[in-house]
Amino acid sequence: MKTRNLFVVLSMLIGTSAIGQLKTIEFEEYDLKNGLHVILHEDHSTPIVAVTVMYHVGSKNENPERTGMAHFFEHLLFEGSENIGRGEFSRYVENAGGVLNANTSNDRTFYYEVLPSNQLELGMWLESERMLHAKVANEGIETQREVVKEEKRQRVDNQPYGSLLSETMSRAYTEHPYQWPVIGSMEHLNAAQEADFIDFYKTFYVPNNAVLSIAGDINIEETKKLIKKYFSGIPRGTQEIPRPDIIEPAKTAEVRDTILGKDQLPMIVQAYNIPAQGTEEYYAVDMLNQVLSGGESSRLNRAVVDEKELALFAGAFSFGLEDPGVTLAFSLANMGVAPEEVEAAMNEEVERLKTELISDEELQKLKNQIESNFVTANASMAGIAESLANYHMYFGEANLINTEINRYLAVTKEEIMDAAKKYYTENNRVVLYFMYDESLESSN
Amino acid sequence: MKSFKYTLLIAISALFVACAAPVDRSIVPMPASAPSIQLGDYSSFTLDNGLKVIVVQNNKLPRVSYQLTVDRDPIFEGDKAGYVSMAGDLLKKGTATKSKAEIDQAVDFIGADLSTYSSGAYGAALTKHTDALLELMADVVLNPAFPQEELDKLKKQTISGLASATTDANSISDNISNAMCYGLDHPYGEPQTEKSTEAITRDDLLAYYNTFFRPNISYLTIVGDITPEAAKAQAEKYFGAWKQAEVPSMSYEKPAIPDGNKVCFAPLSGAVQSVINVTFPVDLKPGENDAIAASVMNSVLGGGVFGGRLMQNLREDKAFTYGARSSMSPDPVCGSFSAYASVRNEVTDSSIVEFLYEIDRLASEPIEDSTLQFIKNNMTGSFARSLESPQTIARFALNIERYGLPKDYYASYLTKLEAVTKEDVLRVARKFLRPENAYITVVGNKDEVAEKLERFSYDGKVKFLDIYGRDYVDLAPAPEGMTGKDVVLNYVKAIGGVDALAKVKSTSMSGEMDMGQVINITQKTKDNSMMSLEMSMGGMVVMKQVFDGKAGVVSQMGQQMPMGEDEIAQMKKQSDLLYEAKLDDYGTTSELKGIGTFDDKAAYVVEMTEQDGSLSTVYFSVETGLKVYETSTESTPQGDMTIATTYKEYMDVKGVKFPNVISQTVGPQSFVITYKDIQVNPKLKNSDFSVN
Repeated sequence: MKTRNLFVVLSMLIGTSAIGQLKTIEFEEYDLKNGLHVILHEDHSTPIVAVTVMYHVGSKNENPERTGMAHFFEHLLFEGSENIGRGEFSRYVENAGGVLNANTSNDRTFYYEVLPSNQLELGMWLESERMLHAKVANEGIETQREVVKEEKRQRVDNQPYGSLLSETMSRAYTEHPYQWPVIGSMEHLNAAQEADFIDFYKTFYVPNNAVLSIAGDINIEETKKLIKKYFSGIPRGTQEIPRPDIIEPAKTAEVRDTILGKDQLPMIVQAYNIPAQGTEEYYAVDMLNQVLSGGESSRLNRAVVDEKELALFAGAFSFGLEDPGVTLAFSLANMGVAPEEVEAAMNEEVERLKTELISDEELQKLKNQIESNFVTANASMAGIAESLANYHMYFGEANLINTEINRYLAVTKEEIMDAAKKYYTENNRVVLYFMYDESLESSN
Repeated sequence: MKSFKYTLLIAISALFVACAAPVDRSIVPMPASAPSIQLGDYSSFTLDNGLKVIVVQNNKLPRVSYQLTVDRDPIFEGDKAGYVSMAGDLLKKGTATKSKAEIDQAVDFIGADLSTYSSGAYGAALTKHTDALLELMADVVLNPAFPQEELDKLKKQTISGLASATTDANSISDNISNAMCYGLDHPYGEPQTEKSTEAITRDDLLAYYNTFFRPNISYLTIVGDITPEAAKAQAEKYFGAWKQAEVPSMSYEKPAIPDGNKVCFAPLSGAVQSVINVTFPVDLKPGENDAIAASVMNSVLGGGVFGGRLMQNLREDKAFTYGARSSMSPDPVCGSFSAYASVRNEVTDSSIVEFLYEIDRLASEPIEDSTLQFIKNNMTGSFARSLESPQTIARFALNIERYGLPKDYYASYLTKLEAVTKEDVLRVARKFLRPENAYITVVGNKDEVAEKLERFSYDGKVKFLDIYGRDYVDLAPAPEGMTGKDVVLNYVKAIGGVDALAKVKSTSMSGEMDMGQVINITQKTKDNSMMSLEMSMGGMVVMKQVFDGKAGVVSQMGQQMPMGEDEIAQMKKQSDLLYEAKLDDYGTTSELKGIGTFDDKAAYVVEMTEQDGSLSTVYFSVETGLKVYETSTESTPQGDMTIATTYKEYMDVKGVKFPNVISQTVGPQSFVITYKDIQVNPKLKNSDFSVN
């Protein structure tokens, strides 16, 4: 299975989560006795249905000695169940004319099938099999270990600046589990025994830790009957679900480092710790990033790339997370440009935001951009099911799918300036230079 | 007590029903009956000028799309093939009042999409920006200016695109398959060539536009967050002034069916794979009664699903290919069937056997029930999922109007699909498939493959074609006694002769390459032994090669790589203007293969073999002696790639001729370098070629 890149997942959580106030997305939600939260969205415009299950387990729930388990399960849980043979999970879906996939973040894991609506029951059966008695056994574990290693080679090791996120997060956090990468440690995965996997499955992949979100061409009452048939018999989990309550201490001094590697051009990364997603200040920070990097006319691009020609690329985005996250600003320097010079130009733009309010016109542009993003998002049933599950899981309020845009539009120019002053400070950041390792040449 | 016991028994069994009724999880749920799609009613009306407007109101998102379709008959373009599509591209590149840059800026400002093509235009925007969008869309459709400079730019791009297609086996396969299936004198079969593109003028575009871009043959499909009333008001406001005129209609003869299977072969030198296409025209119109059964039939054979018979046979069972598929394309003028794959040379004939076997099997035996169900499920799913895109819905509404289909044609599509039986599939297979009257087109290695294919032709002969599907003219014999060396030395003479070349101590050439962005290129040579090449973009150097006569360095995006032995050997040849005069010194041998044509002009074809064994085929104009074309095969990590280079517009600088325009295609990419400044004997220093 493909793990969607974290950047993509998180930017989608931020950028595409709700729709303009014009079009309300209706939904119904309730809990089964075993604790499974159900969200149903009925939309008959297309005869398809997205059957999705989101488990509230991500890399932050892992044992620090066994990192990578949540992502590993994204693969493992396609291996089959007591009633589904190895490799048959995807065959059932494809024979039905459907598609399937999954993704994992620091906070949660998401599995989905998009099927013709007359195959709704098949989707329920598949997802309930996965929740009730997935095949967690050595044969599948061995296969998926190799697949995940290939995935890491392809997506991290063999990717330009592939270690950017892990190097940044491991310094931005000293206490909180966000410090380790979602894909985890291959040593940890090698060391994990079958019993560890079974224990992880029994702990997290239980109805009381999941949201069943179904969107599409369904009849709500019939769907409820099917949900009862396939999910109500799944026993509630009996183990305590570990939820880290670690609070990352505030930074008191800048962390600065240089990482040597095989990439030729210097990459400059600044990571500022920010409040958790959903807080008022988080929206202000997100709007601030939009000022810095929303489109070709944004400030970082115009100053650092177009006018000063110091970088090939410059951008910023918030890494919004359930617990306090980080926001990243980064630039890929032009050949022969010193990283210090690039960083100074980036800082200049940030400093300007602390001393001058943005113009009314610029604020309007931001709002237009936000609106356009919200409108074009949620065009697909799978996207709606995922957004509803996210909003419920993170905020206990699925209706944010309709209203979150207002939180963005309510941000004022002053709040953007305040966010810059409060969070974009020297002491609150990690600055990394990714530089070419000259010694690689002599060793060749 | 008897009655009590009985009651208890009832109670207990009732309890079982109520509580236990356990799900038998070993049973895979069956699909429910096929749903019908709620496409929503669409409304349609006609403006006074004849423009038919279709409105599909769908308020799901506050966004509206507008698709304009000019429903003209296909046009046979003849010796200017390509002008129709160019006219479409140019619509958006300038109007009476706006430049291309102004149009682009205005579209981006409202976050809209706008594109134009030969048979119409498409635009989409948020509801509140639709007036701004329509103003632009109507302007490009009603008042296009067809600026000459934009036409020139587009012709250049098109020609380099065509050049890259000359060595692309798949493009050649399309060309020859269409030429065979429909004929060269049919709009679907005629090729666009470099020559036909060169011939296109602004007047051709204007004539096409003025004749065919008329509201009375056009449809405007409006989909999204808009009422039919509002849509009507917009259509009238923005397209009401569009003037109607009589538009000629054209009809074409039905293509002939071959007397038996006929192998048609386009040689591609050095090919390691054959592209096979078993094809024939089919009389199948969109939406006609058998269209859905024909589509099921095609899916069984090889449309879309991995489980298709061709894929299972040629890939899974025989491992001849990475993928084998088929298509059945309905068309109002003439439809076609194709079954195709790329296979390695040595199994070309065996693959054709399997293609014919599978096509024949489908037309002679009913399919299995399980296969039918699998295909129906799959088609149901992909049909349904395709509807998430509003564009699909727009297409359906348009097809209903355009082809006169029943209004519920698509709404009941899944039900009709469900009703298809295996007898239907057999019946349509017999009706449409022609395993004994097919064109078997092959693009590949003539020497290794062609002869073995004779047995598939009803007359035992292979028909050879050029890359455009015209009769292939084999090389004519070269004059008696003439050698490859003679041709090469004649070329040396043509570019100025040994004496003039010997006076050249240094050169400096600068040119441009337009890849969306302009890339500047500067090449320098000195003393026939040193050279440098620099490419820059927006003032920034992106690539630099330097060779000092002994060693060389390539730097790219901050990375420096010393040249290897092979590259150094190449550099020595490239920096020596007298290379062709000294082939023996370099250990290069030449062989004159005959007289062929390049760009429809006669050319000597010389095969050159370098000391390391690498081969290239070079074409020298019979008339001028100049080098006009060259191909070679290079091995790359992506496999063997053919590099084709064209030399044009030779220009005299101090008695030596240099090509002013060089175009090169490498695999799917192509580049055109136009030199702006060529200097002979400029003052250059050795340090200009320093590798340190």
